[in-house]
Formats: sequence, structure tokens, C-alpha cells
Amino acid sequence: MTRKHHSTLPVLAALALLGWAGAASADVGTALHNMFTLPTDTSAVNMKAVGMFVVFVMISLGITFWAAKRTKSTADFYTAGGKIGGFQNGLAICGDWCSSAALMGVAALIYSNGFDGLIYSVVPFGAWPLMMFLLADRLRNLGKYTLADIVSVRLASVPIRALVASASLAFVVGYLIVQMVGAGTLISSLFGLNYEMAQVIIGALIVVYVAFGGMIATTYVQLIKAVLLLTGATFIVFCVLREFHFSLDALYGAAVANHPKGAAIMSPGLMFPHPVDASGVPGAFSIDAISAGIMLILGGAAMPHVLMRFFTVPDAKEARRSVAWAATLIGYFYLLTFFLGFGAVAFVMKNPEFLDAKGVILGGPNMAAIHLAKAMGGDILLGFISAVAFATIVAVVAGLTIAGASAISHDIYANILRHGQATDEEVVKVSRIAALGLGVLGIVLGIAFKGQNIAYLIVLPFTISATVFFPTLFLCMYWRRLTTTGVVAGGWIGLGSGVLMLVLGPTIWKDILGNAAPIFPYKYPALFSLSIACVTMIVVSLLDKSDRAKAELASFDDQFVRSQTGIGAEGAVQH
Amino acid sequence: MQHLYRLIHANPRFHELERKRARLSWALVTIVLVNTAWYIIATAFFPATPETTGLLADIARFWGTPVTPGGTTTWGIYIGLGQTVLYIALVIYYISQANGELDALKDAVIADAVRAAGEQT
Repeated sequence: MTRKHHSTLPVLAALALLGWAGAASADVGTALHNMFTLPTDTSAVNMKAVGMFVVFVMISLGITFWAAKRTKSTADFYTAGGKIGGFQNGLAICGDWCSSAALMGVAALIYSNGFDGLIYSVVPFGAWPLMMFLLADRLRNLGKYTLADIVSVRLASVPIRALVASASLAFVVGYLIVQMVGAGTLISSLFGLNYEMAQVIIGALIVVYVAFGGMIATTYVQLIKAVLLLTGATFIVFCVLREFHFSLDALYGAAVANHPKGAAIMSPGLMFPHPVDASGVPGAFSIDAISAGIMLILGGAAMPHVLMRFFTVPDAKEARRSVAWAATLIGYFYLLTFFLGFGAVAFVMKNPEFLDAKGVILGGPNMAAIHLAKAMGGDILLGFISAVAFATIVAVVAGLTIAGASAISHDIYANILRHGQATDEEVVKVSRIAALGLGVLGIVLGIAFKGQNIAYLIVLPFTISATVFFPTLFLCMYWRRLTTTGVVAGGWIGLGSGVLMLVLGPTIWKDILGNAAPIFPYKYPALFSLSIACVTMIVVSLLDKSDRAKAELASFDDQFVRSQTGIGAEGAVQH
Repeated sequence: MQHLYRLIHANPRFHELERKRARLSWALVTIVLVNTAWYIIATAFFPATPETTGLLADIARFWGTPVTPGGTTTWGIYIGLGQTVLYIALVIYYISQANGELDALKDAVIADAVRAAGEQT
């Protein structure tokens, strides 16, 4: 009975979200009409951008067709048969990691807050060395298809999978909404297409990539997108620096001169709310900044759609090589964001071409990087960067969809519902249906959240990752005494408390629901939800005296040898 | 498989491998965490008044100081850029150690175990 109970949870969560979606979309008829209607005023359509994006789509569909013929078994579908090389995988990881949030969001935060915006580039990058030193080898040696596989090596499969798969789906759906709404907004302002049509295009592409091409097609889509993104960003930064004869002082001087906050943008303190003393002067410590930092670095180190890519390489050595490539490319990209953000302050903030009548940036701060492209390279560069931004979203959504589809088909269907008795064909079929379902869900949610400020939603997946995935993986690999009961108790309590604190916090409770004061005072709950999850996991594990706990404790040594040597690892060469 | 695991776990060279890997990993993790912590603390702390003293206020203020007097680029920018470059360097250092010395030791440990298993049968 408990099995059935666990597996219905994600379904209920999805239904609840759908209900919310239904309530939020005011006019379904208009939405349906817009989905299939081309804009009548074609002069608004940016043909250069559309043309470049169409080229990307044609190439990626060609690859999908080629990949579909090679995707037969579940191993092909989830991990491209474990045959991707370290460098290709590193590029693909870079593609998975660098969402449009990294291109447009970091630039927007620097544009608005100056120096403090850099916390979103420097701190999340710290996740990469941590992943390399603590997780990469062991993940490859213990893992198979999903995060739950790693923990299930030693702990009880069914309750662990129910927890990790549910958390993965919540992670994927939260991340998906942010990407879909971002894409719709971007496309309606850049390509001149309908918002709803943009949702359908992305949803349809994702389903085709993932359902037919599986991990092989997803990998190549990520790879191409990473190359395009790095090339485009490099070119913009080159143009910005050339304008200032490659002098940093000249660039930052121009930024300080343009920004309403002046020289304050060059030092810490503008972004996070600081406690205010009796005389109304802000000062001292911002718990929010610390909590956000922990969320970014630990949450970033355990995201399922990124870690899943470690299983696509043949062994631990290639896993390390992919992390080294990914870290180098992502670090390089983050270095570029330093210049993109301040470059936008220098070239966009006072340029009437990009401002409305009140002097506010067109399309909001998220468009800062895109406007900068136009300021630097005219319509051609604007078209290229728009196409890259769209491709970026498509690729990230594809990565999320395959992570979600594997949680549904491998964890929930094959291991919980069928107790590992399902055939390869059945599981691949369920994966394809799950990909289709996630694509449709993405379209529905994207339309439901149209026009809403969804930036806060990115806090949800990162909080889940820092609260559930990171402590579970870390303690499982490094702490002998961890038991199934401990993980299940700590994971569910951490997940629940994290979501609750987010709902009761300033962003949702006060700003969105319109209550006078938040019940939970901080915007970022990760510091608290992670502590709750860890303490619960440790205390419950120590109190667990069951026979299962004793067996789990005894099997730690075997897991430890496997994690260090790779003997018995999936797809590894047997010595 | 379990038999091999037991043989390896009984091999002192396996514990040499495990200790070496742990020492390398945790030393590098410490560098990353200390660096990240001090970055977050500088962002989290806001000196209330110019008179605020103490280490945290000094750190936050130092980050906002221009590197060259009269210039605009602050220490914080260079530290942020430097930190990113440092992390890339640490990752590359780790992979050179792990793929070289540690993997050689790992292969030797596995070979020992396979040989011992062969002798027993």
C-alpha cells in the first residue's frame, strides 16, 4: 500500500499545478487562437533572427533524425549508451548549465545592482570545483540513469526513489515554468511572434528532440547551443572592450557615470535587504545574502539535469574530463558576464533607442544583454543573439525534460510500479510518453503564467536542489551511518519546510498574495531548509535501530570500494 | 563482485588511495569554501555608517576601494575575476592528480585484488 501512496504524490502535485494553471489563464479561447495564428503585421517579425533560429532548428532536427535510429535501449535513451567523450560532454554540460538566466539574468542583476549582481556569477561557479572534488568520480562509479540510482546502491530503492523522483519533478517543473515564460516574453518582443505560438514551438521541439532522439539528440542540441552562446557572448564583450580601448577603468568609469547609484555600483551592499536599526539606517548582516549564497553553491552542485550528464561518459576518468571542460567553459562564460552587465550599463542605460518615454529600459532589465548586442552590432548581432537566446532556452528545456522523463519512467514506472520487471521497450515507451506529457505541461504552464513576474520561481528548484539532493547525495557517499529512514524523513521534511517558507516569505506571501507582512521574513529559505533536512537525516539515522538500518550500515564498505574504484559501475570496463 | 570489494577493502594500498584522494579533495574544497564564504560575507555585510569598525566592515569597505587611486575598478572586481580563474586552475590541478597518480594507484589495487581472487579459486 505504501508504494501506491508514494507514487501518487507527484501526480497529485502535477494536478494541483494544472488546476492553478487553469485558474490563472483568463481566456483559454484567445490563448488557443494565438497559438496557431501568425501575426498579421509581418513588419514586426525580425526576419534575420527568425532565419537564424530556423537554421538552428533544421540542424537540430537533422541530428534528432540521425539520433533516433541509434536510440533503442533504455541505456541509449537516458545516457546515450555511456559513449559520449569527455570534451563533448563538457560542452553539453556547459549547454545545460548556462540557461538564459545566465546570459540575460546575471547581466540584468548587474545592470540593476552593480557589483552585488556578480554574486550570481561568482558563487554558483563555486559549485563546479565542489562537484569535481566531492561528487564527480563517485557519481559516475555509483550511478546508472538517475540521481536515485546512486542512493539506491546502498539504501532501499522504493522509498528513496519516491522522494528523489518527486523532488526531481518539482525541480523540473519549477525550472520549466521560468524557461517557458522567459522564452515567450523574449520571442514576442524579439521575433514579433505571438507569446502562445512561442510556447507551442518550444514545446513541440522539445518533445521531438527528447521523445525521438533521447539523450543522444539532447546532447548534440546542448553542444551546438553552447558553441553558439560562447561565440555570441565573446563577440559582444570584444566589441564592448574595443570601444574602451581594452581599458577596464574606462568601461567601469562609463558605467558609474551612467548609473543612478553612481560609484556605489562598484562596491557591495546594493542588492540584499539589510536589517535596519532604530534610526532607520541599514547595517550589519543580511541573512538573505548568506542563504542565497548557500542555495546557489550547494543547489548548483546537485541539479539532476546536470548530474545526469555524468552518466553519459564511459568511466570516472571521462567524467572528470567532462567536469574539467565544463568548468573551464562555464568559468569563461561567467568572466564574460562581468563585462556584459557593466557594458549594458555603459551602452544601454542612457541610450534613448532602448528606453521608453519614462526612461525605463524596454522589456525590463532582463533585456539588457540583448539591447547591448544591438548597440554593439546592429540588427545582425541582435538577430544572432536572439536566435542564440531562443536556442539556449530550447536546449535547457530539453535537458530538463529528459531529466523529468527519466524520473517518471525509470524511477516511478520501472522501479516503483513495476518493481524492476518492466522490459526495455516498455520503459522507453513510457519515457517517450513522459516527454510528451512534460512538453504539454510546459506549454500549459507557460501560457498560464503569461505576463507574471516569475523570476522568484527560480528560487524553488535551487532550494529543492540544496535541501534534498545535495545532503542526500553527500551524506550517502560520505557518512556510513546514513539510513533509508533518515533520508526519507529528512528529505520530505526539508522539501516541505523549504516550500512552506518560500510560500510564507516576502516574495509570495507579501508581494504576490498581497498580505501586509510576510510570516517568514527571508526571501531565500535554503539556509534554514537545508539545516532542517540535514539535522533530521542525521538524528533519524542515528536513532534508526532496525534490521534494515544494520544491513545498510554493513554495506557501506562495499559501496565505498565501488565509489573509489569503479568496480561494478554501470557500463564500465570489467577488469 | 562482493568478494572483490572485500579483497580490496582488506588491501592497505586501497586505504592509501582513499586517504590520498580525501586529503587532496578536502584541501581543495577548503580553499573553495573559504573563498566563497568571504565573497558572500562581503556582499552580506553593509557598514551602517562610515564609522562602523570591525573586520567585516573593513572587508566590505576594502572591496569597494579602487585599485589605483582615482580609478574606478575596485578590488572586488579583480577578486571576483581572480576567483573564477582560481577555481578553473584548481579543477585542472585536481584532474592532473586524479588521472595521474591516483588512477595508477587505483589500477594497482584492482590488479592486486584480481590476482588474489585468481589464486583463491
